[in-house]
Amino acid sequence: MKSRAEFEKVRRQRGAALLIAIFALLLISVVAIALIVSSGTETSLASNYRTSTSAYYGSLAGLEEGRGRLLPTSLNYIPLPANPMPLTQVIYITNPVGAEIVAPDDTANPTTYPDTQYKQEFGVDVTTRIVTKYTSVSPVAGLPGPAYKWVRINAVTEKSLGNGGGGVDVNNDGDVDPFTPLFYDPANRTPGGAMSPGLVETPTPPATALQALEITSFAVLPNGSEKMLQYVVQPLVEFPNLAGQGFTAALTLAGNNVQYTGPGTNSFFINGQDQCNPAGPMVTAIGYTVTSGSDSSSGNIAAGAVPVANYLGAPLTTGPPPGPSTGSIAFLNTMNGNWLTPTGLDAVVQDITNNADSVITGPATPGSFPSGMSATHPMTIVVNGDLDLNGWHNTGYGLLLVTGTLHYDPDATWEGGVLVIGQGNFVSTKSGTGGIDGAVFIAKTRDGSGNLLANLGASSFSQTGPGGVNSNVGRGINYNSCWLKSAMGPITYKVIAFKEIPLAN
Amino acid sequence: MNVATPQRQRGFTIIELMIATGIFLVICGAMFGLLQLSQQKYSSETQLSGAFQETRLAIDQIVRDFNVSGYPARSLFSALPPDSSQYTFSPVAWSPNYAVSSCFVGTAGGGTCVTPGDFDLIVEANLGNGAGVSWIRYQLVGTTLFRAVVPKTAGADPVAATSAAGVMVPFLTNVMNNPSAAQLALIVANYPGMFPGGVPQPIFKYTCDTSAGLLSCPLAGNDGIPANIRDVDVALIVMTRQPDMQTQQLKLVELSGRGRRVNPSK
Repeated sequence: MKSRAEFEKVRRQRGAALLIAIFALLLISVVAIALIVSSGTETSLASNYRTSTSAYYGSLAGLEEGRGRLLPTSLNYIPLPANPMPLTQVIYITNPVGAEIVAPDDTANPTTYPDTQYKQEFGVDVTTRIVTKYTSVSPVAGLPGPAYKWVRINAVTEKSLGNGGGGVDVNNDGDVDPFTPLFYDPANRTPGGAMSPGLVETPTPPATALQALEITSFAVLPNGSEKMLQYVVQPLVEFPNLAGQGFTAALTLAGNNVQYTGPGTNSFFINGQDQCNPAGPMVTAIGYTVTSGSDSSSGNIAAGAVPVANYLGAPLTTGPPPGPSTGSIAFLNTMNGNWLTPTGLDAVVQDITNNADSVITGPATPGSFPSGMSATHPMTIVVNGDLDLNGWHNTGYGLLLVTGTLHYDPDATWEGGVLVIGQGNFVSTKSGTGGIDGAVFIAKTRDGSGNLLANLGASSFSQTGPGGVNSNVGRGINYNSCWLKSAMGPITYKVIAFKEIPLAN
Repeated sequence: MNVATPQRQRGFTIIELMIATGIFLVICGAMFGLLQLSQQKYSSETQLSGAFQETRLAIDQIVRDFNVSGYPARSLFSALPPDSSQYTFSPVAWSPNYAVSSCFVGTAGGGTCVTPGDFDLIVEANLGNGAGVSWIRYQLVGTTLFRAVVPKTAGADPVAATSAAGVMVPFLTNVMNNPSAAQLALIVANYPGMFPGGVPQPIFKYTCDTSAGLLSCPLAGNDGIPANIRDVDVALIVMTRQPDMQTQQLKLVELSGRGRRVNPSK
């Protein structure tokens, strides 16, 4: 049996083992902590970068939702409370996560994502404005959407365009105006007469101008990372008329020495009387754009457009509106200058193509048309190349742009605008019961190899079939401002400015 | 009371002590060896993650500057102010002959642009700092990427304006995209995949808007002018300040990002 002293000795030895163990543990811990700290630092570095990028894209998503929902064809269309939208009106789209409250117009409450940026732009608190609120459509099937909290849509002024600075004097009048909503005028001209599209500051905007809107999106991530981005958008409506948003003729043949071939029968009409109810002003039946002495446009059209009684419309003269004049063939002097040059028209084609519902590579047939086109849902269809409508006995709605030759079949009906810009050829060899209700614009901007011309070439319209058959006398091209209005859109809200709003944190 | 008599206190024998000390030294040696190893590793890793962080921040800044370039564009104005510092002439400024005639974007010495180039980019933007429209330049000189921000001056040349004394500040160091021949040989030996072809790697690569859609610059004809640049790919190859302490190998990180201009080109 061990004595007590022996027990004491063993206990002392146990103590030494403990010390050694603690020391060894300490060493290992230092190594372990060093490794943990190292990997932890790396994780947090990665996370900083990630949240900055996430907030940026979250905010961008908000901008795109706002821009998309302004379009009348959007399933979740947000109509403007007034057109034009006054400065006193503000629209918000809120995007709360779960049960949280997002109230940007409650600027006194810091927990509900207040919009204090509005005051920086307009000098007054947003609570003094008439606020309309919508909820975001981004959460789908219960999944949380992007991280933006709210999107604001409002009118824009010269003052509000400034980004922490003094504003942007868009009309160079030496004054940064804080009260007048800005409009985008695609047909604006300098005092010298040159085309100068841009934002105009005037209490009475011209008929061609459309209101510019500001879309601001604020994103906050759960960790507090914030980002605010802003668009200025312009409703994109493409039209060749300088005086108003529309067309100046039922059929426009733009360019030099244009060709017109008619059937010479009583059953084919081109009519400039507005078929819309209520009818708007009458336009020219066939318009051309070059009137220099050596140009044969006028003579070519006059020779082809017979009998003259079938070409009804208004000659573009001043004075009281006349009754329908026959043989209405006129030089168009109110054309938007951008529609009179190959480069200007090329930009129009690009804009339409970039925002089309469907872009089809030619040669194509209507078999490639998208489904779902209807009177209430007009579409923008672009055919890059030739389009052959022969044998198609249906109706299309919206804006049809063909860059090659359009082989038209009078059995086909198109309700809206038909643009043949590129090769500028419109060919129809048959008769039929259909027609075009809206307007047709033809321009030759490219040569046979596809190179852009320096000046517009000889566009051509040829209808060699006898035109309408049976009782459908009167078919052909009938100017119709209603169909044109629905076809022309706006086809998109085009971004004309983008900026990041610096935030305090 | 029966108290046990303490036994005679007996010390450790010299053998016991030597064995115990020996074992202790072996364990300690192993521990310190491990500690030194981990310290070296930690130091190398810290440098590597530091290089990562700096590169990420640099790319983030470049991308953000490029995204907002071109505000406010000329197309916002219905009448342009005579003072060209009120607007951006083009999202990407260029040299030579800025604002008079465009040069053509090139790569690897091609094209006619001095900037924008493989290692040089100047964007025009209103950054919201109250200074109005600014020229923001990124230029690689040697192995240092410099950044310059100067308010745009009407009639001035962006390269000259950003080259003034004290304007360019070091933004990111040890950038190895365009190293000296000796450094390049060393890097290629260590990282054969990082420099394809064994030639310097551009920091900036451009994509231009054309009538046929987005295409990589350089492009023939007017499609390849700086105003048509839509996207910029930023690729930065950054070396840590010291080589790996264990292996003495060079440590490099390569990160890339993409900026996309949203504002109109004019």
